[in-house]
Amino acid sequence: MIGIYVHIPFCESKCVYCAFASFVKDESFQSDYFEFLNKEIRTCKFEDRQVSSIYFGGGTPSCVKPEKIVEVLTTIKNNFKVSENAEITIECNPCSTSLEKLEAYHSAGFNRISFGVQSLDSKMLKFLGRRHDKAQALDAIKKAKAAGFENISADLLLGLPKERVLKDAKCLMRQGVKHISAYMLQLEEGTKLKSLVEGGEVELPSEDKVVKTYQKLCKLLQKNGFAQYEISNFAQNGFKSQHNYAYWTGRAYLGFGLGAHSFDGAFVRWANADNFEDYFLGKQNKECLSPAQRDEEIVMLGLRCDAGFDKTKLSFDIEKVPAFKQLLANNILIQKGNKVFLNPTYYNISNSVIIKLLP
Amino acid sequence: MKKNIRNFCIIAHIDHGKSTLADRLMEQTGSVAKRDMQSQLLDSMELEREKGITIKLTPTRMKYEQSGEEFVLNLIDTPGHVDFTYEVSRSLAACEGAILIVDASQGVEAQTLANAYMAIDANLEILPVINKIDLPSAQIEKCKQEIEDVIGIPADHAPCISAKDGTNISEVLEKIVTEFPAPKGDENAPLKALVFDSFYDNFKGAICLIRIFDGSVKVGDKIDFMQAGKRFEVTEVGVFTPKMEMAESLSAGEVGYLAASIKSLSDVHVGDTITLVDNPTLDPLPGYKLVQPVVYCGVFAVDGSRYNDLKEALLKLKLNDASLQFTPENSTALGFGFRCGFLGLLHLEIITERIEREFNLEIITTAPSVSYKVIKTNGEEVEISNPSNLPNPVEIAQILEPMVVASLFSPPEYVGAIMELCQEKRGIYKNLVYLDKSRVRIDYRLPLGEIIYDFFDKLKSATKGFASFDYQMDGMLESKLVKLDILLKGERCDALSLIVHESSAYARGRAIVEKLKKIIPRQLFEVPIQAAIGNKIIARETISALRKDVLAKCYGGDVTRKRKLLEKQKEGKKRMRQIGSVEIPSEAFLSILKLDEDK
Repeated sequence: MIGIYVHIPFCESKCVYCAFASFVKDESFQSDYFEFLNKEIRTCKFEDRQVSSIYFGGGTPSCVKPEKIVEVLTTIKNNFKVSENAEITIECNPCSTSLEKLEAYHSAGFNRISFGVQSLDSKMLKFLGRRHDKAQALDAIKKAKAAGFENISADLLLGLPKERVLKDAKCLMRQGVKHISAYMLQLEEGTKLKSLVEGGEVELPSEDKVVKTYQKLCKLLQKNGFAQYEISNFAQNGFKSQHNYAYWTGRAYLGFGLGAHSFDGAFVRWANADNFEDYFLGKQNKECLSPAQRDEEIVMLGLRCDAGFDKTKLSFDIEKVPAFKQLLANNILIQKGNKVFLNPTYYNISNSVIIKLLP
Repeated sequence: MKKNIRNFCIIAHIDHGKSTLADRLMEQTGSVAKRDMQSQLLDSMELEREKGITIKLTPTRMKYEQSGEEFVLNLIDTPGHVDFTYEVSRSLAACEGAILIVDASQGVEAQTLANAYMAIDANLEILPVINKIDLPSAQIEKCKQEIEDVIGIPADHAPCISAKDGTNISEVLEKIVTEFPAPKGDENAPLKALVFDSFYDNFKGAICLIRIFDGSVKVGDKIDFMQAGKRFEVTEVGVFTPKMEMAESLSAGEVGYLAASIKSLSDVHVGDTITLVDNPTLDPLPGYKLVQPVVYCGVFAVDGSRYNDLKEALLKLKLNDASLQFTPENSTALGFGFRCGFLGLLHLEIITERIEREFNLEIITTAPSVSYKVIKTNGEEVEISNPSNLPNPVEIAQILEPMVVASLFSPPEYVGAIMELCQEKRGIYKNLVYLDKSRVRIDYRLPLGEIIYDFFDKLKSATKGFASFDYQMDGMLESKLVKLDILLKGERCDALSLIVHESSAYARGRAIVEKLKKIIPRQLFEVPIQAAIGNKIIARETISALRKDVLAKCYGGDVTRKRKLLEKQKEGKKRMRQIGSVEIPSEAFLSILKLDEDK
């Protein structure tokens, strides 16, 4: 069983905090891209053809013509065995989402929508470079439901100036979303936001404040039936993202499109080039993981989420790491059988815990 | 033959041009072909050239013709730094004359005076030379006047030169022959040779640099090191040109080297007298002294598993530097390492830098300490060079600390600032002399422990770099000293302990905990940092628990990027030391010395 990720690297405009592979391109360029993307999927030789989840991310998948998206999904279905109950997600931007589009996605087989809401403060959205406002965001959720989607997720950004994420989360829950991702804002190199902050034009809330808000948010969501199943992800019963779960539990996945990453489920990771020129030449970066690197990943990914990791899967004896017992004794780690979990109270400092465990 | 030998050295304040003049002399006497000249030839070690200072002495024999007569000029270079005062005094003892260089734009400085006095004490003929006359700011007459007033030697005949562009170098050579006396001594008397330096050669063993006062020595002679009480058979004698050149023998008045299959430099003591076993002299040369380290610090490998590499490095360095001392030390905070003794701060800096550079080892050094004498209540006397070994206060009857006498030279406008600094450093005022309108000399007796702390930096900033400073050891003095401990999460960190004067303990304790709070990153738990004297906590800060340390979202399955970020973070952790459950960065151990930086 594998997951498939499709990268749609196009946006209508670039957001101030964005450091991902996304570009504003015209339609003819997009056509070339989709032609290559379909070919890439058709010619893929990966052995495991059984697909349990598909995820269209970006960029903004909803900003291109829906036929293009449907065509890619069809290519996947024609070339792989997609399970009947597979989770098929598309990321959407609230402003580029019409009812027709959403209906087209739904009838093509998409059954999960992830909206990049980020905030419900219209002024803040404008500042961030998002093209939607609060009304459009709420309207998009309504339309998705009308188009037949039940599994709706919304992304929120934590750590924005004039933080109001708790209020936004409440509002989204009232709208009936089943899944909320809340990512802490990161100042990435080369983004406009970073230069604004460094230039003193924008002041971000302090780290302590962000963490406090994060902890409050975790509590709020929990209270409303949204279980925290990963550092940044919360879902009602039955609505965890299967696709993302595959990343954290070490399952195989294939990535198609610009800069997309793949993993064979064992020791090999590869990624497509993240510039168009090299991508169209089929260039890839391949990496074979050493046992030590694989250990790092197992611990790092397992402790991010409620899946934990199986200590017998490691190439070293974690019992011999002095910090391991200490962390268990302090209830920072929790052990159930062979499985080791990070106490969710400490999700906010997961890195420090992970590093302590690695030999 | 003896009457055509001149043994001399060059003495100067740092940067007044000693090495450059030595280069010129060698060039003009044809001792080295111009194409072989590497600027400042005598400062052979890479580090010395970089720092522009001379550490090791390298003698050179030059041939010089004057009025049809051929002379042998032996230049014995001296290290110009206070750390090596004893070596300097032995080098001076090997000479009859000293060239005293003074920078025409700077005038007499602290080391000029200290070195000049040493040369006078050694009964040397002193030839003042005014250097850097090419500089627009050169003040030749004023400089001469200063030499006469401050040092008290005539300077009207001083050659005025520019070692940089070679002006008037021949005048210096002429004066070496006419002003400096030829060596005395009796070739037929029993051998009496002074060891004024040594180094280690991988093939020949320890090489002694010697000046023959009486008698002669040749290959096959059985010799006796009179102070060390060791006997060897001479395998080689020769002179430096400046390369080593074998000779048949060395006799009274000459300067050269001697090898005798000596396995270890620790058998060769600078200042020792060599004589012949079969025909010994009765009275060894005066002035012999065993050099003792004055500054100590702990040296540890950043990567604790490289303890053996560190040991290897120290052993190799000791081969060439008998003054370096080290003994194994075990610190709860830093693991296994060594407590090293040095002749001074510069010596410490040179050795630690050489370990890192030549042996590619990253090291942690703990705060330098001096050696205290502790008299216990039971009458026992102990030397303490590692603060964490200081006995319990109730067992201490008396602590004595090493003192120095310091001479400071400065323009008069900084006198107030200098006196304030010396007072703050518990100095005892001795003397103040106005040398002329623009220069003052101030003498203080100061604890050495205060000088190795941050005296240089503070003096520099208090006087905008205009003051110069030199000191000599001056006995021990009883003092109210206490041990200041640092506790992290309740655990004492031995590597951070300091011995400080009671009066400054509170301020130092406070400053250290504040500094550590800035340096130690947040941990999984709250970490209290405390400064304590005995069981009494005198200062406290708290590092609150880590709040946020989480990687960004795992976008589109890009696990590799995440893993690399994590690996980078893990790499950074290797430089951390574990004290109990607290991780502290290597830099913390030296940072407590630089408490004023952020203010």
